[in-house]
Amino acid sequence: MDQPRRDEDQELVARTQSGDASAFDQLVIKYTPRLYGLVYNMTSNHEDTNDLLQDIFAKAYKAIRGFRGKSSFYTWVHSIAVNMTLNFLKKRGRRFQLSLDDVDASIQNDREFMELTATSSPVREADLSELQRRLNEAMMKLSDEHRAVVTMFHIQGMPHAEISKILRVSEGTVRSRLFYANRQLQNYLDEFRKNPVS
Amino acid sequence: MDEFNDNEITRLLRLKRYEQPPPGYFENFLHEFHRRQRDELLRQPLWRICLERARELMFRLDVRSLASYPVAVAAVLVCAAVISLKIYQEPEKAQVALQDAPALSTPANAEGEWTLASPVATRIFRTQPLRSFDQSAQTHRASAPPRYVLDSVPVSYEPTFKF
Repeated sequence: MDQPRRDEDQELVARTQSGDASAFDQLVIKYTPRLYGLVYNMTSNHEDTNDLLQDIFAKAYKAIRGFRGKSSFYTWVHSIAVNMTLNFLKKRGRRFQLSLDDVDASIQNDREFMELTATSSPVREADLSELQRRLNEAMMKLSDEHRAVVTMFHIQGMPHAEISKILRVSEGTVRSRLFYANRQLQNYLDEFRKNPVS
Repeated sequence: MDEFNDNEITRLLRLKRYEQPPPGYFENFLHEFHRRQRDELLRQPLWRICLERARELMFRLDVRSLASYPVAVAAVLVCAAVISLKIYQEPEKAQVALQDAPALSTPANAEGEWTLASPVATRIFRTQPLRSFDQSAQTHRASAPPRYVLDSVPVSYEPTFKF
């Protein structure tokens, strides 16, 4: 975690703790997009994500006075988000509706996207929306804990150490969950390659 | 390439970053957050709102640090007062405790002093008699006729001494 961001967060947290609600607004604005990505990729549902995000920030606001700064605000608020989302998913069970959001148009300019569509035959054969649907289906077949690790590592680009702090597990556990989840995703996507119309 | 490898899966997953909520979502999120906060506040009872406001005010004014010295002095004074009261009331309490335990008996005199002549020992002897008369009269031969000491003395035909 870069130091300026941490210092800035600490100042905003201190101001919030001293009663300045506008400081917390800045934290909300700052972390909403990132937490949206985390929660959305764990729930695959926009409405659920919206409700959960509201609850997450409400809980963070209530609990911020007890935040002593042992970890960064970033880690702290991500811990709240992951735990609340995992609890929500346990209550929801396996019942879910895929509610895919629009893919941002800037994906067309993404270097990795261009490379994938240019070189990889399975990807090239599928159109973008179908690929998106398959990926989400494959993600939802993972267990909640494995999906959380995949989301944080692959999609959000967090390092293993940060994930282990957020989930309060060892780095070895994070790595082994990632390995297992990758194997599972590979199997699901290979099935898609073999039976593209199923 | 026939199969998805790890690298491809990683790349595909990273593309999920481009999945975005509807336009304007992030702009409206904060307004929605404030609206929900207000709604929640209105659902709470009045006393809780007042309590929270008071706590917020105290926290904002940092009353804890300002009042720490006087509060500490007051706490010490209160403790001292409580301890002195306890010490003053202690003999009375001891008397009450003794009344609850009659086996130990009460003090010998009105001043509450303990003396060797106090009836403590007497009471202990009284409350724990060695054996009752009936118990001592019973023997292991309950059905046998009563025996007297004279029975065991051999009969003598010598005249008794007379003075």
